Amino acid sequence: MAVLNRMDWYDLARTTNWTPSYVTEDELFPPKLSGDFGLPQNAWEKYDEPYKQTYPEYVKVQRDKDAGAYSVKAALERSRIFENADPGWKSVMKAHYGAIARGEYAAASAEARMMRFSKAPGMRNMSTLGCLDEIRHGQMQLYFPHEHVSKDRQMDWAFKAYDTNEWAMIAARHFFDDIMMTRDAISVSIMLTFSFETGFTNMQFLGLAADAAEAGDHTFANLISSIQTDESRHAQIGGPALKVLIENGQKAEAQKRVDIAVWGAWKLFSVLTGPIMDYYTPLEHRKQSFKEFMEEWIVAQFERALTDMGLDLPWYWDIFLKDIAQTHHGMHLGAYYWRPTLWWNPAAGVTPDERAWLEEKYPGWNDTWGQCWDVFIDNVVDGNMAKAYPETLPYVCNMCQLPILGTPGKGWNVKDYPLEYKGRLYHFGSEVDRWVFEQEPERYAGHLSIVDRFLAGMIQPMDLGGALQYMGLAPGEIGDDAHNYAWAEIYRALRAAKKAS
Amino acid sequence: MALYPLTSNFEGDFVLQLLPVDTENTMDEVAAAAAVHSVGRRVRDRPGCILRVRRQDAQEFFPRTMKVAESGLKPTETVEIIWQAA
Repeated sequence: MAVLNRMDWYDLARTTNWTPSYVTEDELFPPKLSGDFGLPQNAWEKYDEPYKQTYPEYVKVQRDKDAGAYSVKAALERSRIFENADPGWKSVMKAHYGAIARGEYAAASAEARMMRFSKAPGMRNMSTLGCLDEIRHGQMQLYFPHEHVSKDRQMDWAFKAYDTNEWAMIAARHFFDDIMMTRDAISVSIMLTFSFETGFTNMQFLGLAADAAEAGDHTFANLISSIQTDESRHAQIGGPALKVLIENGQKAEAQKRVDIAVWGAWKLFSVLTGPIMDYYTPLEHRKQSFKEFMEEWIVAQFERALTDMGLDLPWYWDIFLKDIAQTHHGMHLGAYYWRPTLWWNPAAGVTPDERAWLEEKYPGWNDTWGQCWDVFIDNVVDGNMAKAYPETLPYVCNMCQLPILGTPGKGWNVKDYPLEYKGRLYHFGSEVDRWVFEQEPERYAGHLSIVDRFLAGMIQPMDLGGALQYMGLAPGEIGDDAHNYAWAEIYRALRAAKKAS
Repeated sequence: MALYPLTSNFEGDFVLQLLPVDTENTMDEVAAAAAVHSVGRRVRDRPGCILRVRRQDAQEFFPRTMKVAESGLKPTETVEIIWQAA
């Protein structure tokens, strides 16, 4: 029997809207969940997904993808790549799995909201496949690290991290809860798929896959590439929704959602991806600096995606372009200095050669970030480790939940962006974080940052031990320097040589 | 006497930090408490300098002997700790 070409029947087959007779349209698609923006069903029926795929096609392709990724894993299980990998690379894996794996399961729920509640039939089809994608990503990124749990307890955080009050996880949850767990279907399509996935994750996965291959970790490279091919498909769910909104006079609402999600995504990438690319990845394996990567893969591509769509660049674009050369250096120094509160062992990444690379990529690094590191390095060389660990908490932003920081040393520009709302003083890391809060204060006002919780007496005893317990960090999981400070030897030698001369 | 949280923005450092002080502390004592978390950790000491305290963005420093309770600072408000030639 002859089979029709897919495009001869696809549009008809996925035209699944109908006029409800037993319930009202609002009961079928509650506005709070569907996010119809006041547009009738027929406006949403114009939604035209650029990437059309049927369920049988999807299953066939996904089976092949799974076979590829799992067979590489099986083939390399005895290769001892993990045992022999640079500790900095292991930290990349631990940070990635912990921050991402369970978030993928959460994303399946967000995709399911679009699948059920979107008034756009095309979106419902795309997000059915997207939901299955996210379940697959969750499963794979829990299964792959599991083989290493017996060798290294920190690998258990692939599963554990999302349920803890570890500060970076509070930040990740706050962001994902905001853009995908507590938004209507259309807002999820704009904030999760268009802003976060098109804007950031798609490219993040490309960059990370390249770094993994360069580091010789072909299992991880294949896993990440396999996931990325799904992302590049379902990231396209939001674009046509934006078109519908813009054509129906809802550009301002669409733009606001993009602006909020892009900023939050940027802050999360500045703490997760920035340190990985510019500090954890061994120098010889670095292809691009984080700033170069951002400029080539995120800024240029996202600018085009926004303008193609008829949207404007976010109002804060100039701030963002300046911050991509700065913020992640502070996020790295902060995460490193407060390293007992991490579930991975951060690599310092500040040997003389690495500093020369940083100075080349970020002119002025030695006069700013380098000044802080100089003091830290002296303490390590002198064995003055008491000064190499913190004795108080960094103040974190009430929006992104990450430390409020700026450039130190000769370029000192650290600043708080406070706001008093209903008698409570909030602190923000930037004008943009504060602006996000001001868009819908009641949405965010009740949340307590890790510092707010500390001050409220929720963390007991009120010291580092109490904080680690609150964050769920058990002995054997608490972070410390990835290379056990071996990198400081060269500074010892340099100092000895200076003394001798 | 009561424990009072402020936020320290220390000149030359990279991050704001929680600074527990006492309402009876003078501004010199606030500066010294802030220094514990920055100087010798990520900021070099500056011999011949003292540390002054001011509200964020203010031009004037608080008087060195002013107590926290007299300053009008709100709980967790950010203070800048600035080096000044002695």
